[in-house]
Amino acid sequence: MLELSNVNTFIGRRKIINNVSFTVKDGSVVGLIGPNGAGKTTIMKTILGLTKFTGVITLNGKEITENNHSPLTKVGALIEHPAIYPFLTGLENLKLYSSNKIDMMNIVEQLKMNAYIDLKAKGYSLGMKQKLGIAIALLNKPRLVILDEPMNGLDIEATILVRKIIKQYSSSGTSFLISSHILGELEKVMTAVVLISDGRVITNCSIEEFEKINNQQYQLYTENMPKTLQSLNDYNINFSQSSNHIVVSRGALSSIQKILYQNNILLLELKLQQPSFEDLVVTSLKNHRGSQDEK
Amino acid sequence: MSSNLYQEFYKLYHRKVAWIAPFMMIFFMIIMGIAMGKSSERLLVMTAYNSSQWISLVLIIVGSTFFSMEFQNNAILTLLYKASSKWHVYLSKFIVIFIYDVILHLIAIIFTIILSLTPLNNPASWSNIYQYQKPLALNMIMNTGVDMITSLLIISLIFLLSCIINSNSAVITINILIIFMGPFVTTNLFWSKSNAMNILKWNPLNMTNLTQQYYNYSSYHPVTLLSNMQLLTGTILYMLLFTAFGYLIFRRKRF
Repeated sequence: MLELSNVNTFIGRRKIINNVSFTVKDGSVVGLIGPNGAGKTTIMKTILGLTKFTGVITLNGKEITENNHSPLTKVGALIEHPAIYPFLTGLENLKLYSSNKIDMMNIVEQLKMNAYIDLKAKGYSLGMKQKLGIAIALLNKPRLVILDEPMNGLDIEATILVRKIIKQYSSSGTSFLISSHILGELEKVMTAVVLISDGRVITNCSIEEFEKINNQQYQLYTENMPKTLQSLNDYNINFSQSSNHIVVSRGALSSIQKILYQNNILLLELKLQQPSFEDLVVTSLKNHRGSQDEK
Repeated sequence: MSSNLYQEFYKLYHRKVAWIAPFMMIFFMIIMGIAMGKSSERLLVMTAYNSSQWISLVLIIVGSTFFSMEFQNNAILTLLYKASSKWHVYLSKFIVIFIYDVILHLIAIIFTIILSLTPLNNPASWSNIYQYQKPLALNMIMNTGVDMITSLLIISLIFLLSCIINSNSAVITINILIIFMGPFVTTNLFWSKSNAMNILKWNPLNMTNLTQQYYNYSSYHPVTLLSNMQLLTGTILYMLLFTAFGYLIFRRKRF
């Protein structure tokens, strides 16, 4: 299990990561989500002991520091770009880090790299390099895998393949920390969300909780919409209009029902709005920015 | 540390330049044999056919890319997080390039023995006393040992500059300029009869003359203004200093 406790990362004297704490449990797939420049890659580098930081990072109870990487022996990572030597073949790039030949060949097989694994990596396409980078991260049966934008350059088949492999590894106990801007793809594999903005964690929960917390908008439709709008305005109830219905928050539902009853308005439809995961993330980030602006 | 050493050897083993360079060195040794074999056969044997110059060039070409290839191929992050510490990464690279340096010197000795048996030069007796009241064979071994110490200074300087500059070609060019042009700059400074000569003679580029002075004391001592022992001490101290600075820069570098 990976645990970050009150981690602050500095680049020069500038604090990039601010008091970050979260946990990656065994077998979980944690999505590290945030806008560009939020600090996702820096957090990943910090976990790998590659930056100066304060606070405590432990992996299975052993502390990782900038000068002690011994707990990282069972960690695989793909950060920013695949680490590939062009003068080596794909297989030689893998051999460089592999301690188990059977495991290495299984990964080549799983990622369907057999056709080009013996060719020099300098001739690889972006997608082939990305697959090789993922293969390097998966070598030696890691307990934790850190992937920064793993779907970069992958075609749809490769994306599905990588998703399947992530699920397969996580079901056997390997935990994943993945950052990706392709939220739809990330949503399909992750079990927990860490949402960050400006170097701070703004949400840290399971995917179910995240959807529950942020999924509290209801669509409402009555027999008399103009009168409904007027009544809600009179009682200062917040709502937004969307085509032929209005959207209200879960918290306002009981008040709205009373208002409608008092004004003899018949409720025809009330249903939970189903926003996409992207919408939830965007809303969450907007809310965070709004609360920051108010401060 | 052992896995770091394995990785560095593996990469060096698979780089074409590491295999081509010794052949280049042998080619230039033969050229030296053709040019000087009939007039300076004993000097040629002592200097292993002037191989030190070519070994320095090979070390610059191969060594300069030891760090820059990691930066340019985005491999430095993987290398660092998989290593126990940054010191292990730095030290393993240093050890591997030094072992490569030793291998180059051994190849130079073997080919010196072979070339000395060919009609390329006049026969030289290995047991005859030549310089420093020692037999020629010992002169060659001592000169090789001295050159290995000079090589350590060159490696430490290459590593220091490689940690400051990320670009392959820039590092190679600057290293060649500093190591091959540096002594000329130093000589010119001495000729200017500067008042600061007593200090300037201790500059690190002057120390790269150690090997040349060892086999040609009468010509080089007036240039370096230092004794063999002073040059040797300076070389070792600068090597330690450059290695320490190189590591500190590497340790503080942002990746």
